[in-house]
Parts: sequence; C-alpha cells; structure tokens
Amino acid sequence: MINIKELSKSYGKTEVLNKISLNFLKGNVYGIVGENGAGKTTLFRCIAGLENYEGDIIADNKPLKNHLGLLQTNPYFFSKITGIEYIRLLCNARGMYNIDIERKNIFDLPLNQYASTYSTGMKKKLAITAILLQGNDYFIFDEPFNGIDIQSNILLTEIILKLKELNKVVLISSHIFSTLNDTCDEILILKRGEQIKFVQKIDFHNLEQEMKAITIGDKIDLLELK
Amino acid sequence: MIDFFKLQFILLNRKIKDAGLNPLLGYLLGLIAFFLISEFMFNKTNFAKYLVILTGLSIQFKFSEKDRMDFLISTFGNIKKIKIRLIENFIIAIPFIFILLLKSSPFEALVLFFCSIISALFSFYSDFNLTIPTPFSKRPFEFSTGFRKSFLIFPFTYALTVFSINIDNLNLGIFALLLVFITILSFYNVPENEFYVWIYADTPRDFLMKKVLNAIKNASLLVAPIIISLLIFYTKQFKLILISFFIGQTYLSTIILAKYSAYPRNISISEGLLIALSLYFPPLLIAFIPMFYSKSIGNVKYLLND
Repeated sequence: MINIKELSKSYGKTEVLNKISLNFLKGNVYGIVGENGAGKTTLFRCIAGLENYEGDIIADNKPLKNHLGLLQTNPYFFSKITGIEYIRLLCNARGMYNIDIERKNIFDLPLNQYASTYSTGMKKKLAITAILLQGNDYFIFDEPFNGIDIQSNILLTEIILKLKELNKVVLISSHIFSTLNDTCDEILILKRGEQIKFVQKIDFHNLEQEMKAITIGDKIDLLELK
Repeated sequence: MIDFFKLQFILLNRKIKDAGLNPLLGYLLGLIAFFLISEFMFNKTNFAKYLVILTGLSIQFKFSEKDRMDFLISTFGNIKKIKIRLIENFIIAIPFIFILLLKSSPFEALVLFFCSIISALFSFYSDFNLTIPTPFSKRPFEFSTGFRKSFLIFPFTYALTVFSINIDNLNLGIFALLLVFITILSFYNVPENEFYVWIYADTPRDFLMKKVLNAIKNASLLVAPIIISLLIFYTKQFKLILISFFIGQTYLSTIILAKYSAYPRNISISEGLLIALSLYFPPLLIAFIPMFYSKSIGNVKYLLND
C-alpha cells in the first residue's frame, strides 16, 4: 500500500502538484494520465523520494524507496557500462548478488554490449529487466511502452499482469490508452498538478471517448486537409 | 564557423564559472598548473616528452567523438568540419608544443604537430564499440567504466615498471605507480546521475564506506603488478614503495569523499584548493577527510532517504 496525503510540490513559484491525496493498494495496477506538464513525472519522483515535497507519503514497507523499482522515461546509462553490468549494479545496490542474469534475459538483449549502443527500445527493456530482478514490491513505470517493439509490448503487458497477481503495487504513466486499458484497474487523471478523477475499469471506454472528444474537437478540420 | 568558436568559448567560460572561478583567473591558474606539472614531470623522468605528446593527443581524441563529428558534419558540412577540427587541435596543441620546444625537444614537438593534423582528419570512435573486458565487471560501475575509458594507460605503466627495473631506476617505477593512481582518481571526477545514488538501499555511512572500500580493493588489484615487481627488485626500499602505495590509497579515499562532499555538483575550486593544500602538507588530511566525510553524509542523505 502507498498512501499519499495532501501532496504538494512547487518549483519556485510554479506549483506542479497541488494537495494530491491518493491510496494505492496491493495487487492493483494504476494508470496515471495527463497532458505533458500535468505533473505525472513529478508525482513519481516524489513517491520515489527524489524530490522534497509537502504532505505525507506512507508505505507499508519502509523506506519505500528501498522496495521500489523506478523506470524513468529516459533511463540514463554510463558510456562504457554493459547491459549485464547495469543490471548487476542495480541488484548489487539492493544487496543482491549472484543472480543468473543471462537466464532471466527475457527480452533477449545483447547483455555484453555497451548499453549506450542500444536502441531507445532496448534501453527501456534493459531498465525494465533490471528493476524486475531487484525483487521490488512497488513499481513505477514512467512511459514503459514508448519505443519498444510489438513483441516486447505484449510481453510487458503480461509482466504487469503477473506483478498484479503477485500482489505488487504498480503505477504506470502512458500516452497510449490501449496499454492502460489492457493493464490497469483504475486510471487517475491529472491536470495541471491537480487530481481530476479516478476512473474504474468499467468506465475506461467512456473515458477514452471523452478524451478523444476533448482532445480532437474540431482541430483536424482546422487543418483543412485535402 | 566563428559563431561556433564563440559559443565554445562561452561554454568553456561557463564551466570555469561553475567551478567557482572567474574565467580569466581560471585560464591563468590553468596555465600555471600546466607549466608547474610539466616542470615536475621533466625533472622526474626522461619520458616526460612522450607523456606530453600522449596527453595532448588524448585531449584531441576526445574532441573527435562520433556524436560530435556527426553534429559538426550535419551542421557545417565536411569541409568546414575539417577546418573546425584543425583549428581545435592547433589550439589544444599550442601549450604542449610550447613546453616541448622549451625543453629542447623540437622533434617531439613536430611529431605532435603532425599527429594533430592527422587526428583532425579522422574520427577515432566511429565503429569502436568492442566491449573491453575488465576485471571489475562483477561490481560496477566506477572501475568497470573508468578502466575501459583509460585501459591503454595500464599496459603502459606496467611496461614502464619493467623498464624502470631494467634501467635500475626506482623513481620511474614509483612514477608508474602514481600514474595508475592518478588515472584511478579520474574515475571519480564527475558526479553520477542522482538515480545511481538513489538506488542504494544503504545508510549514507554504509554507502560511502562501500564506495571507499571497493575503490581501495580495486585500486590494489590494478597496482599489484607494479607493487609486487618493485618489492621483489627493490626489497631494501620497501618502505618508500609501501608509503607511495599508502599515499595513493589515501588520496583516492579523499577524492571519493570530496566528490560526494560537493555532490550533486562537480568538485569546485574550494574542494580542489583543500586537496592542493594537502598535497603540500599531507597531515592536513587528518582535518580534511572527516570534513569531507561529514559533508558527504549530508549530501547523499536526501537521496538515500535516511
């Protein structure tokens, strides 16, 4: 469980999150949706403890960060670190040694090559593999489906469903609605740092239609495409 | 093209300012440090002229990285890219050529001059993605990545040690030992992304202890061939050899603590000045090490949520 109370975050005078209160339960997958700049990544960084904030974030496993797998939107890799070393580094940091990484390389990554030579999708898959092998109880996936191929997309969806089955807490942000539809139990909508609403799975279709109507409006007509 | 160099100048000035220095003072101090270090090297070894060439070329190589070359070609075209690289290499080579001429090594100055032209014409990193094996792969990341970035220096220092024994010059052997330590210190000169501190499930104290102990262990492995060879062939001078080893390890620990005492920013002039002071009077480390340690604890605490 992760319980967030009255979470606020500002950068100088710019308020990025405004009194957000949420409760994320075990065995549930939550989608976080919002336009660019809505505060999704900042919310994730606050939960991870990478940002100072006002309010409270409480988890049943303390400290939360030591049980949290964080997939950043653009994972950073050192220039001469190989894939296998990156995974080892993240596991060693959690006191885990002697893991059979080669066997658990389910995305078939070239683990002995430098991670900096990987494509965008491969980098993302490497970062996902690393946080999965850390044995976390909580997961934050910030844009996990961006850049990865369709096969890996299917695999990742199944992984997320498995994490749910294993009673983990999973938070996902994605701009691809279908991926959230396949994996999430609830979707939180953020707008300019405020929580607008929580949408249950049964209402996902309505939400998609609503978002389409608001987002598209008459914008396509403005292009006067011929 | 002129705008490109103006922009490079602005960026360089910005870096000096970030280090806490007035740019003009930065250039002056840099030149003084360059000449003092060169003087020290030429007094210590006959190989200084080769080290000057190597250092000059290694800086030039850094400017010919693939991404940078791609940027220059796509922005300016191939002809202007070559012109830019030639000008950059000449600017970099000037102080090195000057010191070689000053030390009566015109042939070596000429070699550096021609190598500068050649290195401006090619990119040395284009297809060099071969994974260099490292003994530090099991405990990444500083030594595994640092070793790969500077791997040529290690066979060079080991060869230098053998040579020092052949010509019966212990000082040269000690120089090789210190060169390895200086190379290792460079593994710690850039602060890592905050994510790579945040991932540790350690207290700040344990985090720093692990960093220092890992560095001491790995550094011992890299200098072992030099230390063992020197101890075998210069048994009577074992104290000097062991003291040099101890000094290297002490400064390695100091640099790691200094790095985190400045974290997440780079080591600035204030930390650099303290380290420079301690080089002149090493007992100062008794005060500086606990100070760096205490500041480091404070700096990594927020990321480790302790």
